[in-house]
Amino acid sequence: MDSRFLMSLQIIVAGAQKIGAVPHGTRVTAPIASGHFEGPRLQGKVLPGGADWTLLRGDGVLELDLRVTLETDDGALIHMTSFGLRHGPPGVIGALARGESVDPSTYYFRTTPRFETGHPKYTFLNRLVAVSRGDRRPEGPIYTIDEIL
Amino acid sequence: MRSRPLMSLRLSTAHTQDIGAGPRGSRVTFPITGGSFEGERLRGKVLPSGDDWTLKRPDGVVELDLRITLETDDGALIHMTFEGVRDDGPPGGSYFRTVSRFETANAKYSFLNRLLAVGSGQIRADGPLHVIEEIL
Repeated sequence: MDSRFLMSLQIIVAGAQKIGAVPHGTRVTAPIASGHFEGPRLQGKVLPGGADWTLLRGDGVLELDLRVTLETDDGALIHMTSFGLRHGPPGVIGALARGESVDPSTYYFRTTPRFETGHPKYTFLNRLVAVSRGDRRPEGPIYTIDEIL
Repeated sequence: MRSRPLMSLRLSTAHTQDIGAGPRGSRVTFPITGGSFEGERLRGKVLPSGDDWTLKRPDGVVELDLRITLETDDGALIHMTFEGVRDDGPPGGSYFRTVSRFETANAKYSFLNRLLAVGSGQIRADGPLHVIEEIL
């Protein structure tokens, strides 16, 4: 399927909140401290206050459920949500858990961002479907987000 | 983004349920009466009784929210959902894209539990057709 680059989004997470074992798996919430995004059509920073609500399922797949607010460099606020999946060989996932740098091609980390904004310059974001490839760095994830054409 | 074909999904729908103008837009629910899906790794039929709950927003974009059950030709049941947008507005063609997720307990198809998929939809005379690809 055809796609085109929308932006690269780096998110810096604060201390994880380990909720623990819940009915659907193991829940860890990662508050968002800051971040930035950059692409040909939009760039700016991530506002503090969002979080990524993660759930490690019984089959070893991590579900991610991110909600953040983006602020463009010209002052537009964009509500972003993103559901994703992350999984891989146990050795790779273990290295990620230890905070090591891992080649992102060795595991599956994909998300499907959605956007909402009231700013007229960016309303194209309200009308598109996107996918992203994640790269889990020790300080937080970097998402390469493509618009589905 | 790299992807590979997962399946073509054809749906048949009953008369729409026009819920009408609600606080978030105009709601129309499409009951799914059946259908079929076909791909290299799975094929079978769509069981009746799912729905696509659609919402036409004030900006003209239709949001889709589908839940159906697939039954493969070897008897596995697969819970499928998708969300998507349909935008008939842009000149030069409609934009109709979805993001699918699957859940199954059947070991042969458990790869579906671990992937995200995107679909390109079109409305045909005999109902909607979605060409769905796995995101690699």
